[in-house]
Amino acid sequence: MVKAERKPLEEIKDSIKRYKRILTVGCGGCVSVCLVGGQKEVNLLNAELNVSFKADNSPKQIDGYTVERQCNAQYLEELDYMVDNYDCILSMACGAGVQHLAERFPGKPVFPGVNTVAIGIDKDIGMYEERCRACGECVLAYTAGICPVTRCAKGLFNGPCGGTNSGKCEVSDDIPCAWYEIYNRLEKQGRLEDIMNIRPPMQWQNTTLRTIIQEPYKERYAKEE
Amino acid sequence: MAEQNNTPVATEKIKKMLERKKDKTKLSLRMCAHCTLCAESCFLFMTRGKDPKYMPSYKFINSIGKLYKKKGEVDRATLEEIGDIVWNDCVLCTRCYCPLGIDIPDMIALARSICRTQGVYRQYDK
Repeated sequence: MVKAERKPLEEIKDSIKRYKRILTVGCGGCVSVCLVGGQKEVNLLNAELNVSFKADNSPKQIDGYTVERQCNAQYLEELDYMVDNYDCILSMACGAGVQHLAERFPGKPVFPGVNTVAIGIDKDIGMYEERCRACGECVLAYTAGICPVTRCAKGLFNGPCGGTNSGKCEVSDDIPCAWYEIYNRLEKQGRLEDIMNIRPPMQWQNTTLRTIIQEPYKERYAKEE
Repeated sequence: MAEQNNTPVATEKIKKMLERKKDKTKLSLRMCAHCTLCAESCFLFMTRGKDPKYMPSYKFINSIGKLYKKKGEVDRATLEEIGDIVWNDCVLCTRCYCPLGIDIPDMIALARSICRTQGVYRQYDK
């Protein structure tokens, strides 16, 4: 799932300081699961903001509301009747959710309350680790389930580079070399030939806007175009 | 669910929220023929021993249906029960299928929204 981190309070305050009535909108999806943008976190942030703005002698009306998923238009409907009462919206969703809100309410300034960090795994409650950068060109089939885009500092498709050092990355001794791990795992599985062929470089599809249509739906949406 | 809270239930707020989707809720509850055809479209139903409590129709009748029939006059225990159904027995994947066209996910989402306004919601660190 998408993983995010809350922005520093000062940064949030700075983006909303000129507005009087603020609606903080939480998201019940991924950001709730990673404990950063759900209802509980909305309540906490609003309490912090209230205290902080009061201390600055600039009290504001800050309310909270959490929708199921900000990435789904169906769940934004319930905000339609309430946004007119506010000067700006503070979204606690991932980047997709923030943009979706901004698109639905083009007349309202929408600010992000979190930094979207990664697609990751849950290591423990409140502890997550990045695993995917949604590059759109998954190579895990030949890299033994280890993503070189995410875990290699250079994102190499044909590694390791000359900076690999006893299983560590030249960037830091704390970072394992992804290609060292790929090699070892492939060797263990007896399929080292998977990395013997030179792979074409990454096309960086994630630098342009992508729309995903699943195979069974292609015909349906083609007709609509 | 959220920590136990003893705040009185704001039934007026629930009534207002129910009112906003009254026609759709009423029609959905009337239309449900209890045909059980929605059951197999729910992956939780299919993977959890076909326990009837995971049937989409059961979930929407016992959540928003309960709130609607009681006209929003519910106590906190009832809200907790509803919260348990709409969060723990449903992931709102929106894949449930009703041959009569009942928008079950929308009904469950409404029940969730109502629960949220009363401080009943899923906490992922519990």
